[in-house]
Amino acid sequence: MATVKRAYIEDLNKRLTLSQKVFVRSRKGKATKIVQEHYLRTDIPCSSQLCPTCALNPPMDSSGTSRPFVLSSDPPSVKSFGPHYLVPDTNIYMKAMDLLEHFAAFYDVIVLQTALDELRNLSLPLYNRLRALTRSQEKRFYVFHNEFRQETFVQRLEGETINDQNDRAIRNACVWYSVHLQEAVAGTGKSAPTILLLSDDKDNIKKAKELGIVRATLETYVKELPQADTLLDMIVVEGDEDTSGANRYSYAEYYTTSRVQGGVKEGLLHQGILNINQYNFLEGNISVAGFERPLLILGRESINRAMHGDVVVIEVLPREQWKHPSTKIVEEETVSKNDNPEDDTQENVVTAQERRVLIEEARQAQHSSAEFRVQPTAKVVGIVKRNWRSYVGHIDASSVPSDAANARRQTSVFLIPMNKCIPKIRLRTRQAMNLLGKRVLAAVDSWEPTSRYPEGHFVRTLGDIESKDAETEALLLEYDVQYHQFTQTVLDCLPKEGHNWRVPADTSDSLWNGRRDLRELLVCSIDPPGCQDIDDALHARVLPNGNFEVGVHIADVSHFVKPDTAMDTEAASRGTTVYLVDKRIDMLPVLLGTDLCSLKPYVERFAFSAIWEMTPEAEIVNTSFTKSVIRSKEAFSYEQAQLRIDDKRMNDDLTQGMRILLRLSKILKQKRMDAGALNLASPEVKVQTESETSDPMEVGVKQLYETNSLVEEFMLLANISVAAKIYEAFPQSAMLRRHAPPPVTNFEVLADQLRVCKAMTLRSDNSRALADSLDDCVDPGEPFLNTLIRILATRCMLAAEYFCSGTMTYSDFGHYGLASPIYTHWTSPIRRYADVVAHRQLAAAISYETLHPSLRDKPKLQRICQNINQRHRNAQFAGRASIEYYVGQALKTREIDAEGYVMKVFSNGFIVFVPQFGVEGPIHLRDIGNPEPPCNFDEERYTLIFRKDTEEETRLQMFDRVLVRVETVVEESTGKRKVALRLKKPLIA
Amino acid sequence: MTSRIEIYSPEGLRLDGRRWNEVRHFRCAINTHPVSSDGSSIIEQGNTKVICNVIGPAEPTLRSRSGDRLGISVKIIVAPFSTIERRKRPQSDSRIQEMCSSIQHVFEDAVIAHLFPRSQIDVNLYIVAQDGGVLQACINATTLALIDAGVPMYDYVCACTAGMLDREVLLDMNRIEESDMAFLTMATIGATRKVSLLQLEMKVQFDRLEPMMAAAMSGCHHVRDLMDNEVRKHGKSRRQMGSL
Repeated sequence: MATVKRAYIEDLNKRLTLSQKVFVRSRKGKATKIVQEHYLRTDIPCSSQLCPTCALNPPMDSSGTSRPFVLSSDPPSVKSFGPHYLVPDTNIYMKAMDLLEHFAAFYDVIVLQTALDELRNLSLPLYNRLRALTRSQEKRFYVFHNEFRQETFVQRLEGETINDQNDRAIRNACVWYSVHLQEAVAGTGKSAPTILLLSDDKDNIKKAKELGIVRATLETYVKELPQADTLLDMIVVEGDEDTSGANRYSYAEYYTTSRVQGGVKEGLLHQGILNINQYNFLEGNISVAGFERPLLILGRESINRAMHGDVVVIEVLPREQWKHPSTKIVEEETVSKNDNPEDDTQENVVTAQERRVLIEEARQAQHSSAEFRVQPTAKVVGIVKRNWRSYVGHIDASSVPSDAANARRQTSVFLIPMNKCIPKIRLRTRQAMNLLGKRVLAAVDSWEPTSRYPEGHFVRTLGDIESKDAETEALLLEYDVQYHQFTQTVLDCLPKEGHNWRVPADTSDSLWNGRRDLRELLVCSIDPPGCQDIDDALHARVLPNGNFEVGVHIADVSHFVKPDTAMDTEAASRGTTVYLVDKRIDMLPVLLGTDLCSLKPYVERFAFSAIWEMTPEAEIVNTSFTKSVIRSKEAFSYEQAQLRIDDKRMNDDLTQGMRILLRLSKILKQKRMDAGALNLASPEVKVQTESETSDPMEVGVKQLYETNSLVEEFMLLANISVAAKIYEAFPQSAMLRRHAPPPVTNFEVLADQLRVCKAMTLRSDNSRALADSLDDCVDPGEPFLNTLIRILATRCMLAAEYFCSGTMTYSDFGHYGLASPIYTHWTSPIRRYADVVAHRQLAAAISYETLHPSLRDKPKLQRICQNINQRHRNAQFAGRASIEYYVGQALKTREIDAEGYVMKVFSNGFIVFVPQFGVEGPIHLRDIGNPEPPCNFDEERYTLIFRKDTEEETRLQMFDRVLVRVETVVEESTGKRKVALRLKKPLIA
Repeated sequence: MTSRIEIYSPEGLRLDGRRWNEVRHFRCAINTHPVSSDGSSIIEQGNTKVICNVIGPAEPTLRSRSGDRLGISVKIIVAPFSTIERRKRPQSDSRIQEMCSSIQHVFEDAVIAHLFPRSQIDVNLYIVAQDGGVLQACINATTLALIDAGVPMYDYVCACTAGMLDREVLLDMNRIEESDMAFLTMATIGATRKVSLLQLEMKVQFDRLEPMMAAAMSGCHHVRDLMDNEVRKHGKSRRQMGSL
């Protein structure tokens, strides 16, 4: 205690005035009075660089530093108002955050505490964005705590509403600022900047006028700015209230909050996340507790303005309205092609055409006897949380009026989002013609019950459709991948030596503390060709007692990325490295990822090693973990490694070691399979690009070697060992990964399809049964069938997820796919954040370092898990979308006939999967012949029978092999170049 | 990662407008109930209000006779209306019992006990309003009431709380702050570094303990000055009235 300093304490009683904040809160139907203290002070600075008085006495924080003054002494100027500081009110933040973030305008903004608090209550994401703006230096946003400053504090008057009080507080602060700045510049000869109140509230503007405050509406202000046209489009348009006639058809209003809450509590209503069917935009499903199967939500009225991913509250419909899922491909473009964006008056929510589609389905449902297919249906009655974000899409050319070119007036157009699950968004823009043929980013603002489509506003254009940059950026935005450059504060966390950083030669250096010197081991790495971020390396050798020593060495990222640094925060928010075909969006700066951490050959690197002693039967005798220094002897690609192992002439120690690894890995794999691990498949292809231009050249299926499985087995082993270790050390807060067993009902449809079409059985009681029955699903005539079934089975499963061990019971930890009771990710810290956390926890578990408190904090870890789960999923989607785009580009000028398999049958078409390109796509009956050939859909046999013109009848059943013509078209609905399939002929095995 | 309330804004202001090192409004009075007790006091720290009555030193009742030493018995009565939601708490509430025994231990060491062998002091604390820092208010109130009762002590016993939010130390927490972070209550003997009570009920990273203790200690010293002022003022007015 000798170092305890006496902290300086202000005598509050002398300097501050006390006020009490009194308000009434109602909870559980009881009203309670709450009294809070509210101290008023005089030392809150105005933060203008013009002001000498506030700068005299800046407030200090606990480390004794004061914040710099942000408002510039030379603020931007516009014609009508001169140089000015902006004071927006809450509404401006609510509807124009995109504008405020725009680099071209909105500098020197005073964010009032009143508005900020109000914003936080209204929308947390917007609040966070505003806070981010105030943190970044360049935009010069300053938060002024007007409610704590004595002069600007306002007491609520009798009969005054909160909103009125807040508006008055904002006006008050404006007045104070103008006077204060006048005083500040008095005598210096400079003129004080105008304090410009931005508000769209008529009443507020009127009262401001009375007080003599300079004020403007958002629109009049933006018109003054240099880039007015672009900026004006970003303003949210409020619906004109007077157009809503009483007899207009509209969506049902949502239930009141209290009714929704009460209903959910009593079990009458249910809450869940809405998923829209990607093949049918009028059908959604929702999984809620208490129902075995997901509930169906059919039709626009039932979906009731909810969008994909929203958290909604639903009401289950009566049993006679239960249906089975759609057997049709319904695309928005075909059903509601001719809607007029300007004209909102005559529209019904459900058009006649949509109604036809629904009726047809209802009819089919009635004479369907397959009991298990009937699903309960529901309708949306309330929205708990919108999942709105910015959407990328393109402008529907047909919605642009022909006279838009000559007029700069605002027109309404439709934006068709790339994601098919999202409905069209109505935008108002002055630059409709310029936006045609571009990728456009837009945000959704509202969806009124009287409007068929959601209203949105334009954010920015990304570039021409089909240009590589625009498409890449579009998919990064669409999957919320953070692709901006690392900021300077992040880069400052890197070692100063840069690429010259070396492991200290002197082993007595403090960096060597607790590290084992494993430089002499014959370590090598095996990765995909061209891999730069080498996470892992391996070694094996024979021990004198006949056992083997096997080591997995992982890049020691946690040595460079310390908790609570800017780099750590950034990595945590990125969550994972995203691999696109031609691009890699790194989680860590490139210096670490591809150099200092990367276990490159011939150089010394810090590593984290897991070392096992194994018997020749691959039984683990003991396991140890240690921080180490290694020197990799070689970096192989899978192919090179395979060649070296197979080459009989090579008999050096390194090759011998690799042979040991291969032999042990085979035993390990067998053991895993015996335990019931699943061998799943996903349609993986690889796109070869031209090295210079990165134009796609060739599409091929990824080739797998034995060495792929060698690496995989040891990584799995390492992950499982680490998981057990960190769980033992931190039973409440270990970072683990689980894969829940899928509900049996998920496999019902697939099992039925197999039974009917192929007379095969699929058992899904447990992973072992599933693995075995998958192995049995072999048709000698159809070698690919087994893979196809595995792909379909994979889709029936749940996604694996990261979680914090304290949040679940041990029995829920299991990894279904790997048939392991516990699992984590530890082996790729360069590209996954979960691994970094596992590294830190393991380091603490072996007492190498103390555990950072944030890794003990369950709620914090849970938030990290939530984020990385989301990021991980998005990264996968983005990767797939990138491949899809490149496959489209590679096939752009060609037409190829290829074999495909029917993987889903609808009553008006079917989905075909083409393994050669890893693509699947619908074939509509209407494309087979014109007019649409008459067809007969046998739902129970998953068969579609149709006759084209005079040809003989064609029967297509699920799993049938077909010959298709593969070509590419620009899909009208999404603007994506997509692979399109045309049926050539069925190939009957 | 933001909650609906912001305990400590990036601009360095707390929910109620204080900075990190500021204690709440502190008001105290002694000799508030001269008729019903030998010594009495009232303490307001922010919206926490505690009344203390001291009876004694007196001859102990037969039952509570505890050898030759001076016995201090502490009783805390929590008014049902002291919290936002009205709730009656039984005397046997374990938290209250725990507070009683903490206070008892603190004052058994602070009072010059050998002057009063075989006697008894009863301390009755009435918690009238709670807004965080109840224990510190109780200790401060007891100190003042004992002084009023004329019980000789080595020095003031003064208490204060300090909390840790991420990396920020906050002094003298109110109810909302207490529920959101780890905090400790410290009592010192006067303006010295002698700590007579240190209570921490939550997990805190070890290296963060020291700054918290430093802040709490300076808070205690500040409270001591405030109490000392009041005692002297009171003494002066008594002398003017001629009662001393």
